[in-house]
Amino acid sequence: MRNTWLIIKREYLQRVRTRAFLILTLLLPGIMTVLMALPAKMATMGAKAEHLVLVTSTREFGEQVRQQLLAQPISEEAAEGEGENKKKMEDRYSIDVDANPTDAERSALRQKIGTHEIDDYLWLADDAIAAHNVTWNGREMPSGREKAWLSDTLSRIALQQALAKKGVTAAQADEMLTPVKVDSFRVEGSHESKNSGGARILEIVVMIMLIYMAVLFYGISVMRSVLEEKNSRIMEVLLSSATSTELMAGKILGVGAVGLTQILAWTVMAGMFVLPSLAMQPNLSSLELSPFVFASFAVFFLLGYLLYSTMYAAIGAITTTEQEGQQLQFLIVIPLVLSVFMLMPLIRTPDSAAMVWMSMIPFFAPIVMFGRIVMQTPPLWQILLCVVLLIGTEVLLLLLCARIYRIGVLIYGKRATLPEVLKWLKYAKA
Amino acid sequence: MNSTEVPVLPSHAVTQQRSTDVVELNSICKNYDEFVAVDHLSLSIPAGGIYGLLGPNGAGKTSTIRMIIGIIVPDAGQISVFGRPLSRGHMDEFGYLPEERGLYKKMKVLEQLVFLGQLKGMNSTDAMASARRWCERFELSAWVDKKIEELSKGMQQKVQFIGSVLHNPKLIIMDEPFSGLDPANALGLKDAFLELAKEGKTILFSTHRMDSAERLCQSICLINHGKAVLQGDLGQIKSRYGKVSVQIRYEGDSSFLHEPRLVQSFNDYGNYVEVRLAQGADSQELLQRAASKARLSKFEIMEPSLEEVFLEMVGKPHA
Repeated sequence: MRNTWLIIKREYLQRVRTRAFLILTLLLPGIMTVLMALPAKMATMGAKAEHLVLVTSTREFGEQVRQQLLAQPISEEAAEGEGENKKKMEDRYSIDVDANPTDAERSALRQKIGTHEIDDYLWLADDAIAAHNVTWNGREMPSGREKAWLSDTLSRIALQQALAKKGVTAAQADEMLTPVKVDSFRVEGSHESKNSGGARILEIVVMIMLIYMAVLFYGISVMRSVLEEKNSRIMEVLLSSATSTELMAGKILGVGAVGLTQILAWTVMAGMFVLPSLAMQPNLSSLELSPFVFASFAVFFLLGYLLYSTMYAAIGAITTTEQEGQQLQFLIVIPLVLSVFMLMPLIRTPDSAAMVWMSMIPFFAPIVMFGRIVMQTPPLWQILLCVVLLIGTEVLLLLLCARIYRIGVLIYGKRATLPEVLKWLKYAKA
Repeated sequence: MNSTEVPVLPSHAVTQQRSTDVVELNSICKNYDEFVAVDHLSLSIPAGGIYGLLGPNGAGKTSTIRMIIGIIVPDAGQISVFGRPLSRGHMDEFGYLPEERGLYKKMKVLEQLVFLGQLKGMNSTDAMASARRWCERFELSAWVDKKIEELSKGMQQKVQFIGSVLHNPKLIIMDEPFSGLDPANALGLKDAFLELAKEGKTILFSTHRMDSAERLCQSICLINHGKAVLQGDLGQIKSRYGKVSVQIRYEGDSSFLHEPRLVQSFNDYGNYVEVRLAQGADSQELLQRAASKARLSKFEIMEPSLEEVFLEMVGKPHA
């Protein structure tokens, strides 16, 4: 116990004191934020407003359509401030009215599309409106959202006109036409969470990638560290003072403590800088981490790390160089990568039989079970069973790997073969 | 404190139990696959003094040492240390310097020594004080806050040595401690050995160089192919197994070397010839014969060297 503690302490202090640790801890959140914000920024940056021409029989009708189109946000981008929204739509579309619905004008507009003078035109002559069927011509097909936006707005105007003819005032018509808003809540245990679908997907992707990357990164650190002790030959000195199990446990826990420190620092930084800026994004404003999800994250990160780093320690023990280690470690990475591939089905159907079974397999559990918890809290017995299986496997693996470790760390010359490793498992008295 | 034990031959013989022995190996074996590294080895190391584990490369010295420390477990046989069967509790009483030296390159000298001391059960204050004392003794005081990688190879070896003795162990075990040392450092290490032995510590060291063992050890065990060939008090071994030999430096006719009546064998070292006398031959007669044939600048009757005893026991590797 005393030795394990000393080894943890040394491993931790030696790592935390390096400049690399400081730089990584401080810079990674910044890099991540930039990487996440960049695609969205690039999508809007420098994009020219789409030039749309409305061809109508009268100018007044054209203006009316123009106003309403600009006032109506495109589908999911839920209403914020009205003015904000209008400005956004004006950035996206520049809409002109053309009150000359003749065949000559039609071919002129076609030519303008060809010369990039305009992007698209919408034929809204009175006869088309009366027939409830208008035509869009453009360089590109309108997206589904755009079509819905046009159709909703035009239907609304048609209804307003029809109501006006029946003597309904504009104010009354507006009231009648107010759409019904759907508020959604997710039930998490006994309390309601306002998390929107988008926020939850962001939450699950970020947290699962964090588990995945942290387990890989710190697992490889353990392997490297074992190799370093082997190659610097200090291992034999250490073995004369501590048992191989103490050495392995101390190393795994020491590196794990470094990982926890780093993640904790990132969490604090995220709370201070990243979340406030994310909250400005309209569809993420409802992001909220329940304490239960947070606790599950800690539990599954730790268990996942312990499971995988134990295997990494064993690989460090049976190989002699980092290259050899890299070659062998793909065996470990496979289940980890597989569980990340499960992200899509996990988000869509977190309680399908396949996902339930997969979350019970300890090697997938850290990611799959955690994902299920975030998406749709599974029954408590499933979570407990999964944790028990995970801990059981970890203990078993620890005993096996300690045996491999015990002999492996003294083998300097060459990489051990599989039959040799199996023999160690049989003979070594841990 | 000298052992009165007679050299034991053959190696299978069980050594008798004696309470003053620090280490007792009883017929231990270690195999690696087909290869037999240690083969029913029995030996006992008396308390106090310097004990040499000798033998050519690959004789099983490192395996034996690792088993005494408990890094590897024998396939068969018993090990007892300080009169008790070897257990984890012994670890803190050992000081170990492996043949493959190694330290944490990025750690500072003092930090590293304190860490090693603490692993052996010292508290940090004692470890710090002891590390500083030893560093002073080896003229490393100016370097205690430097990283290991900034030190010269010789200094690193000193640090490694300090790491194995700073917790004041009762039994110090060193695997080939003199290999790779320059003459000045080897001298320093020898002094430290003698000092520690004078303090009553038991030192076990292995070497394939007979001459360094001969100068330092009170008792030895000579092993070859995993078996003990010869063991016990060095002086007794020599007087019992050594044949008298003569060193001669000469110019001229060497025919006197080829008289089977006087000379059993000889070994030409270039500067001089070492002659082993035939059974019952008189060294004075050889002197007369040699003087009559050649010009002598040296004629010295020698006590047998350990190397000769060894070669006598195991046969010349390439005769």
